[in-house]
Amino acid sequence: MIKRSFFALSKPRLTYDLLEPQPDEPQTIPLPDRLLLLLADTIDSTRPALIKKGDPVKKGQKLALYMDSTAHTISPVAGTIQSIDNYSDDFGKIGTSISIAPDPKKTSDIAPLDISEELSFAALHLQKLPGAPPFDILADENYTIRTIVITGADTDLLTTTSQYVTTSHIRDLEKGARILKQITNVSRICIALPEALNGNAPIASLQVLHTGAVYPDTLPAMIMKDHLDMVLPAGKTPEDMGICFIRAEAVVSLAKTFETKALCFDKHLTLVDKTGNRHRIKAVIGTPLSSIFKQLEIQANDQDRIIIGGPMRGTAVFTTHHPVTPDMDTVVIQDREILPKISDTPCINCGKCIQICPARIQVNLLVRFLEVDQYEEAADKYDLDACIECGLCSYVCTSQIALGQYIRLGKHELRKMRADV
Amino acid sequence: MNNTKLTVSHAPFWHDGDSLFQKNLNYMLALLPAAIFGILQFGAPALGVMALSLSCAMLWELVINRISKKPATIGDLEAAVIGLLFGMMLPAITPWWIIVVGTFVAVFIGKMIFGGIGGSPFNPTLIGMAVLMMSWYMFFDFDTAYVDYEFAFTALAPLAAVKAQGAAAADMFALGDLLMGREVGAIGATFGLGLIIGGIYLILRGYARWELAVSFIAGILVTAFLFHAASPDAYAGPLFHLLSGYTLLGAFFLITESASSPVNRIPMLIYGFLGGFMIILMRNVGAYADGTILAILLVNVVSPLLDNIRPNALGKGMNNA
Repeated sequence: MIKRSFFALSKPRLTYDLLEPQPDEPQTIPLPDRLLLLLADTIDSTRPALIKKGDPVKKGQKLALYMDSTAHTISPVAGTIQSIDNYSDDFGKIGTSISIAPDPKKTSDIAPLDISEELSFAALHLQKLPGAPPFDILADENYTIRTIVITGADTDLLTTTSQYVTTSHIRDLEKGARILKQITNVSRICIALPEALNGNAPIASLQVLHTGAVYPDTLPAMIMKDHLDMVLPAGKTPEDMGICFIRAEAVVSLAKTFETKALCFDKHLTLVDKTGNRHRIKAVIGTPLSSIFKQLEIQANDQDRIIIGGPMRGTAVFTTHHPVTPDMDTVVIQDREILPKISDTPCINCGKCIQICPARIQVNLLVRFLEVDQYEEAADKYDLDACIECGLCSYVCTSQIALGQYIRLGKHELRKMRADV
Repeated sequence: MNNTKLTVSHAPFWHDGDSLFQKNLNYMLALLPAAIFGILQFGAPALGVMALSLSCAMLWELVINRISKKPATIGDLEAAVIGLLFGMMLPAITPWWIIVVGTFVAVFIGKMIFGGIGGSPFNPTLIGMAVLMMSWYMFFDFDTAYVDYEFAFTALAPLAAVKAQGAAAADMFALGDLLMGREVGAIGATFGLGLIIGGIYLILRGYARWELAVSFIAGILVTAFLFHAASPDAYAGPLFHLLSGYTLLGAFFLITESASSPVNRIPMLIYGFLGGFMIILMRNVGAYADGTILAILLVNVVSPLLDNIRPNALGKGMNNA
């Protein structure tokens, strides 16, 4: 954890971690005896389900709960469904988790895949590729995507997954970008890459956006502002503005899928252990984190914290059995001894959040509204919806207020309120 | 399946390690040079005044916490800073009951009735001081306060002397003497150099905002210079004003109080300048010898208004651009 420097006249600089010059090959985690797949759909016992406990599944088979479900997942192995359960995410949204026991005797039991360079095919079959390419958004007629930005620069601190995948798979990346262009027909595809990494990644066929080394330069809103001359209007998503951000790993997986004519399921991860050491890992989607910890001999104790996706923007999970998902780039485990305190002390107006906020939000005033659940006022007068959720205000808060939590909750409640109207 | 009970919370999962305790501890640390000099200059009574003031402020806060059935908040040291500042603004022979009453006003009316830390629209220390000054003005006459003391320098309160005798009185006080604390005044306000060192320390540590201190000093200097230039006989020069009375304490420790000051850069600069301007106006035109207390309280009022001068948030207000 980066601590406050002794002299702090100017605002703190949190810098992204740069990929080491000769990165190690990723350590492959062996296939565990149980895989867990997450599905954004809820179990409804009154309806006839498509899948049930004990069903055999093929490698690459699409799994959905009901006939009309749009949410699906894809089994990375051939095996048997062991259980289908509920789980809830960090906003209490209920989803379904499917547990699958791989069957080593049936490794050749692969679901057929009729590959075609069509957007409809990609939206149906390729969304669960490692890197989670957002083909649903690209296929959605409500959006007109004109530019695709491949994120070769990691969006959070500590992690180097995107940088590693980019530099180690340049040819695949370029090939994937060509396929992507073919499928989506967008006019412009570029790649965001840390400026300092330029020498390691000679990419000829793509326009390279050189991102800075200071957090939050690589967040979508900042890339749009700094490189695409487009300010993201408050409350809008980049997709609303015709720009789609896609992980480098998604593009690489796309190329591999078209090359081998089969889906791939190996996800690259950066795991940061309790001592701050980085481990580069390759694990099959669905591998529980506990299996990875076991392999690396990391002990997760009570009151430790496991974070998916980096220290500034990630989410904490409540179980060590949380699986590797297609969009998971980073796992951080924090020892309970170093967890920063959160307090309910009121804001003292010290102004550090104002100084550091990249979206120029009056956080000191905003939090006063959020604390008393006045979300409409917070959005109308104090720019709640302009927040890009970088977490810097929370990071510097002298009163140790959980600003990030207030803001996320505020946005969540506001969405709910506006949806109800 | 083992069931490890993990800690779950929202992002971010890092913090820079700063806290209110750290901030207030650093404020007290920065006040120490001037406070220690005060003890050396005015002896044990000065120590007594500051100790009583500091402990009273903390006790009052604890009592109010208990009465309002809230958790004790003295651990953040905010009350200690209020108490220490309060003690440093008093003469060394202040009677004990003045301190007890004054810290009560500062902590209760200045801070706690607004909901405690961060809620006060006025600087709590100055609320206490203002009430005392209005109610028992005689205890703040630094000339009579130190009649029993023997000093090796002019034992006249500089600002009162200038008020009574005109700008010529300022010549009695060498600027070097004022800077090194060779003057009578409040315990912690005489040692200008100590206050400057403490203030610069706070600014470098990022606990006091430089915009406030710098613009405050600029306000003092510019306004005093204009008065002095207009009528050198009637009004003392800018440096005299900067180094006398509560000015330096105000510049680094009072105007920088965070709850009552604005947070955006331009408002901070205006606010500080306005504070400096008001002080000189009060000293040169008003009835009080030292206007620092009332001037800062007065600009506290405009702070929320000034903070309306703020930049548009990212992606907002672009229709006008």
